[in-house]
Amino acid sequence: MTGLCTPLGPGSYLAFLLWALLLVALLSDSQLWLLLIIVLAFGWLNRRAGWQVLARRRFWLFILSIVAPAPFVLGEPNVRWGVLRLSQAGLEAGLWMVVRAVTLTLAFSVSLEVLSVTQMVDLFDALGLRGLGFALGVALNLGSVLRDMVEATYHTLRLRGGRRRPFQSLRLFLITVIANALRYGDDVVKAASARAFDPTAIQWRGNHILEGADKAFIAGLVVLGIGLLLDKTGI
Amino acid sequence: MKFSAYTVRDWVYVALFGALWGTLEITLGAYLHVIFPPLANTFFSGLVMAGMGVVVALVGSYFVPRTGAVLSIGIITALLKAVSLGGVKVGPMVAILAGAVLMEVALLLKRVPASWRYVLAGSLAVSWNLPHKFVMMRLLYGKGFTEVYLQMIREGSQLLGLDMGYAVAIIGALFVVRLVVGAGAGWLAWELAGLVARRMGRE
Repeated sequence: MTGLCTPLGPGSYLAFLLWALLLVALLSDSQLWLLLIIVLAFGWLNRRAGWQVLARRRFWLFILSIVAPAPFVLGEPNVRWGVLRLSQAGLEAGLWMVVRAVTLTLAFSVSLEVLSVTQMVDLFDALGLRGLGFALGVALNLGSVLRDMVEATYHTLRLRGGRRRPFQSLRLFLITVIANALRYGDDVVKAASARAFDPTAIQWRGNHILEGADKAFIAGLVVLGIGLLLDKTGI
Repeated sequence: MKFSAYTVRDWVYVALFGALWGTLEITLGAYLHVIFPPLANTFFSGLVMAGMGVVVALVGSYFVPRTGAVLSIGIITALLKAVSLGGVKVGPMVAILAGAVLMEVALLLKRVPASWRYVLAGSLAVSWNLPHKFVMMRLLYGKGFTEVYLQMIREGSQLLGLDMGYAVAIIGALFVVRLVVGAGAGWLAWELAGLVARRMGRE
């Protein structure tokens, strides 16, 4: 990862996500655009991480499906547009809903897309969940093996006339896939044990969950969050 | 939750079933969302994916009979979904985690494995699909969404000349369908795990 946020560790991104979620819940509609700008800027500083979600047609279709009916069903109709009677207040409410949705979706995308798998594993290690980090690493490498296993089982059953007895074949398919996966899992256990892997051992890599830059970043988030919340109350 | 009691085998099995569920979500889940676009039909694809997820996670809990195993499988699946090619998708990630938490709660009730606990866990997890849509919409769009939704139901009922009570009855019927599918998935997981364990001589 490069960019202005290079010194930040995984703890900072996790803190940013929690901070954004908290503020989305606490801030009023009219203040959400500030949060949206901050989230967009944070993504931009991290090589536009998470921005690709904005380029997806399905995302905008989803949002449009909520915004479009808002001027018709929210508030009192006060604007006439051809044969349609629309509510300006309803349209405004719909637009604020969009700001909220985009902010939340971007906060998730920015925080999770910036983290590499290694950083996620390190984060679990730092939180004392080494086993979960190990499991994530194993799971990521198992995906292609499982797909091959499923494919081989399917073709074997199909070539033996499995389609003539679909229910019995489905039962055999499920049993074979799970049994083969468990056998493969046992091989992984042997390999891990041969390397003396201990999921309960504390692994010291010389890095804490929060380094100096992370602490400064989180302090900045706290100050910014308090500022936004005080502004909400008009102080 | 005592993760310190987990052995290497437990963690590998958690990874295995997390990867199985994740693979289903990434491949079949993506296909279903293309065939049945979320805007048009979240009921069918949600039901199928939740049912399959329940089977995989509960079979996993049979082979890792420890507290927190289903939740761990759910966390691995959600992270696999996050790092998949489609990018971060908040809705499915929340659904996977919520389902895993509900299954974990049902399995906490009694330590000894029993078929009724699997049925309960399955029902709880799949029935989450109903509140999930409302919770996600409330989270994403704020409280204004509730007004939009209620107004749309009111106007839809008027347009079709139906009483509002019918709308409630339809929602209730869909909830019962979810409960039944979840119970079936839980029962299937129990039977399937037992069969595999017997064939592998692990009972």
